[in-house]
Amino acid sequence: MSDNSRVRVAIVGVVIVALFCALLARLWFLQMGAEEALKVEAVARATRVVQTESPRGRILDRNGVVLVDNRAAWAITVDRQLDNDTRDLVLGQLAEVLAPQYTIEQLAANFDDLRQSPLKPAIVAVDVDEKSRVAILEHIEDYPGTRVQKLTVRRYPNGQVAAHVLGYVGEISDEQLQAHRADGYLEGEAIGKAGAERAFESDLRGEPRRETVEVDPTGLPVGPPVDVDPGRIGNDVYLTIDSNWQAATEVALAQGIESARNIQNENVVTGYKELEAPAGAVVAMDVTDGSVVAMASFPTYDPAQFIDGISQTEWTDLNDNLARHQPLVNRATQGAYSPGSTFKLVSSLAMTRYGVRSANEWMTDRGFVVLGADKRRYSNAGSNALGRVNLRSAITKSSDVYFYTGGEEFWQIWKAGDVDRGLGLQTTAAEMGFGASTGVELDEAKGTIPDPDWKQELANAIHPTEELRREHGAWYPADDILMAIGQGGMSVTPLQLANAYAAFANGGTLWQPRIQLDVRDGAAAEGTPSVLRTVAPTPIRTITFDGSVRAEMLAGFEGVTESRAGTAYQAFAGFPLDQIPVAGKTGTAQVGARSEGKGDTSLFAAYFPANAPKYVVVAVVEEGGRGASVAAPIVRRVIEAITGVQPGLVGPSPVEALDGGRD
Amino acid sequence: MATITAPPLAVNRRTRAGETSPVRHVDVVLLVLPFVISGLGLLMIYSSTRTRLERQGIDPMHYVHRQGLAIVLGTIAMAFMILVDYRRFRDLWALIYLATLPLLGAVLVLGASRKGAQAWFDVGPLQFQPSEIAKVTVIIAVAGYCHLHRGDLDAWRLAIAVVMAAIPIGLVLMQNDLGSAAVIAVCAGAVLVVAGVRGRHALVLVLLGASAVGAVVATGTLDAYKIDRVASFINQDSTDQPAWEQSQAEYNLEQAQSAIATGGFSGSGLFNGTMTKNAFVPEQHTDFIFTVVGEEFGFVGGASVIALYALLMWRLWRIALLSSDFFGTLVTVGVLAMFAFQVFENIGMTLGIMPITGLPLPFMSYGGSAAIASFAAIGLAINVHMRRFS
Repeated sequence: MSDNSRVRVAIVGVVIVALFCALLARLWFLQMGAEEALKVEAVARATRVVQTESPRGRILDRNGVVLVDNRAAWAITVDRQLDNDTRDLVLGQLAEVLAPQYTIEQLAANFDDLRQSPLKPAIVAVDVDEKSRVAILEHIEDYPGTRVQKLTVRRYPNGQVAAHVLGYVGEISDEQLQAHRADGYLEGEAIGKAGAERAFESDLRGEPRRETVEVDPTGLPVGPPVDVDPGRIGNDVYLTIDSNWQAATEVALAQGIESARNIQNENVVTGYKELEAPAGAVVAMDVTDGSVVAMASFPTYDPAQFIDGISQTEWTDLNDNLARHQPLVNRATQGAYSPGSTFKLVSSLAMTRYGVRSANEWMTDRGFVVLGADKRRYSNAGSNALGRVNLRSAITKSSDVYFYTGGEEFWQIWKAGDVDRGLGLQTTAAEMGFGASTGVELDEAKGTIPDPDWKQELANAIHPTEELRREHGAWYPADDILMAIGQGGMSVTPLQLANAYAAFANGGTLWQPRIQLDVRDGAAAEGTPSVLRTVAPTPIRTITFDGSVRAEMLAGFEGVTESRAGTAYQAFAGFPLDQIPVAGKTGTAQVGARSEGKGDTSLFAAYFPANAPKYVVVAVVEEGGRGASVAAPIVRRVIEAITGVQPGLVGPSPVEALDGGRD
Repeated sequence: MATITAPPLAVNRRTRAGETSPVRHVDVVLLVLPFVISGLGLLMIYSSTRTRLERQGIDPMHYVHRQGLAIVLGTIAMAFMILVDYRRFRDLWALIYLATLPLLGAVLVLGASRKGAQAWFDVGPLQFQPSEIAKVTVIIAVAGYCHLHRGDLDAWRLAIAVVMAAIPIGLVLMQNDLGSAAVIAVCAGAVLVVAGVRGRHALVLVLLGASAVGAVVATGTLDAYKIDRVASFINQDSTDQPAWEQSQAEYNLEQAQSAIATGGFSGSGLFNGTMTKNAFVPEQHTDFIFTVVGEEFGFVGGASVIALYALLMWRLWRIALLSSDFFGTLVTVGVLAMFAFQVFENIGMTLGIMPITGLPLPFMSYGGSAAIASFAAIGLAINVHMRRFS
């Protein structure tokens, strides 16, 4: 063999070595190196995760009374691997057994429903009755591919009680899916849609069971799961609500509204018409920590309607049927109302604080007052002349003239260029929590605190021309004058109003209202489940009150129920005020122009015991007329329920019941 | 080595030992290696087909049994190639060559068409692929011709040698078997290089070859799927489009690389490869068998398989140097080139560094003709090795 040939054979060898090194390098790169994405992709391609929701946690009241739990619902599933003929046969047989609950068309539609996971047997019927279930199970061999599966659905042992607080569960919407995909939600799964169900979703949901199955290239599952994450049952959420008080509050609100519908609407000038009183809300709150103990909204709805999904007809009826007055809206937090005279709490604080009028300064209430450049006449309700009034009696008797003049002075100060003092009403209102979310776990409206900027912006949005915008956007004396009695642009939610009175009653802590007490282990069997997380009361801010002014105001609010001149004296007639002193303020807020003849908004805000405040109760009834005649009696009923005072009677030991009887 | 550089010593050793029987000089490593790799291949074929076959209600050992039969037949072919003195092949190269051509021609007329190639004879339950045999016979023919004109490979003789190779290549191309044609071209090329083709001739040949490939692509003689395969190789980094827009070739490539990447360092373990088990990689028991090794045995397994082939290459390369005559060197270089190219092309395509062609991985891929031809080729090399003293 020539040397030339040897060199050439060697060259062939070198080439081969180079090629094999290239293979090794590439193999290393692919398996050990940078191609992590390929691995992830490969795993994603070859396996799927089948997710099954775990039972949701329960919702209980502060005493452990179950408000929402789960019950078993039997569902019929049909395998997806069946050929079309067998499937149609099975669905036909099932339709016979399940009639009239399901037709074959419904079963077929459910089978083909794209929202169901293609990896799981199709659920064709839910909540089938015991008879059908047994009938199918007894002859299961006649139903190839069919299985009876246990699902859990929501159960409401107390019916509609606390519907707005509890909210409801529904199938996750596209928007929610976008927002929650990172949390592991899939199409067709349940999610809290409103109320506590939505607010505490992450506690209640638990962890879904996740089975990793292998799939073939067409995506059908193959063999038993290769990995199972059993998931976790949702945790129990305890609310600050007391279910007994809640039930009593709802009854009081409904009865109060019913009675209002028998009262004449004083705003109708011609002929006789009763008040419409279509809706209302009540909030009862612990002034010492901001926990809501009862929260009612009228009209209400049945959360059980949402089990197994609500029909489009029912949904439209609940939302768009004007005759039903939007029962899904929680008016306690989402309703924004003119506070009327209940706002005098803020006006009183502002007037004394900004040197408009001192607490012991007297003035004469002639029943009306003429104010402003246009010499407009501002009257008390019914133009009643209340005589000599100071801060205390102005509150007790609800003298509008006293506060009209105060409001006008604020305007003068503002006009004179002292904006800080001139907007004292607005500043104090904001400090008391109005015009902003309270931070409660539920959907809420912010309400409005009118000020010059707000008014100009509103005018700019409404009016087309610069001239009109200037005319309607200007800040007039009437704006401050009406605001001082809680009218005009001022609007508040019942919860904001309750929270402001709570802050006043407890000496200056504005708590963040809350409905969640704590979270407890949902997987725990019998016995007392361990507390996983306690929700601590959160103060929003501390407000400083002048001691003597506050004392005068306290006396004024107490006089509302106790003094013969008090606006709610009649409403609390017979209530043992000597044992449980109740302080409060009525409000009757005009809605729209008088000529419309719309009933006034009836409001009452109260806290008790007046000497050592523990609870605040606020009632608002839309088109309910006078605060004293509709809202105040509702609040009285609620106070009776909380204190255990028999309606119209003195309870055995009401104070004791208040202090230590409950929790 | 010493035996070659110092012939007197070799003669000395041979006479002293008195061992002239060729059986004494069998390269045991080379004899055993094909069986080791084939055994591993059987395991991989089983792993990649058992689940699918079970699901279809077929004996999961179906492919294993058939491949086992091919190995037996291959062993017989190897025995034949070892027992007949390779110098008989040297003398009969023209006959062997002329016998190959009608076989390749006949398959075009009589053969069965599968996977886009008309390259098979149906022989009872088995398929016989003449192009696999042609790989070996063309090596013998070109080596025989070059041996005849050793040391004097002028332009004219080179041209004859090239035409000798080009005719079977053309016939194989007509069967739509691009991969085998490439293998034959590489083998013939390697033989010619070692036979002493001159530098400028080699340059002309390379240019001719390149323009031939260009012409074939330009005139659209190739079927669309072949261009697609090459194109997918070139475009593989830009395949972000959804699966349904991918061509079959891109899909193959992506699945193969995913499967190998999943293996990581030590793999998922035998029979545990999810992509393997659930048949995500098309042609996984044939052309893409290396992805099974990659997924189930990881880098350790993949590198070991490459090492086994490297060992095979080394033994062949060594024989090319040790051969007592020029024909032996040439024929072994041809066999070496055949295995090296097929291993590189096959593993390279599963790793995404070579275009997809329908070439089996020698001894591992499911496929009877290839197994038989491979065993026969190794037999030829062993033959050269063991008769280097006789």
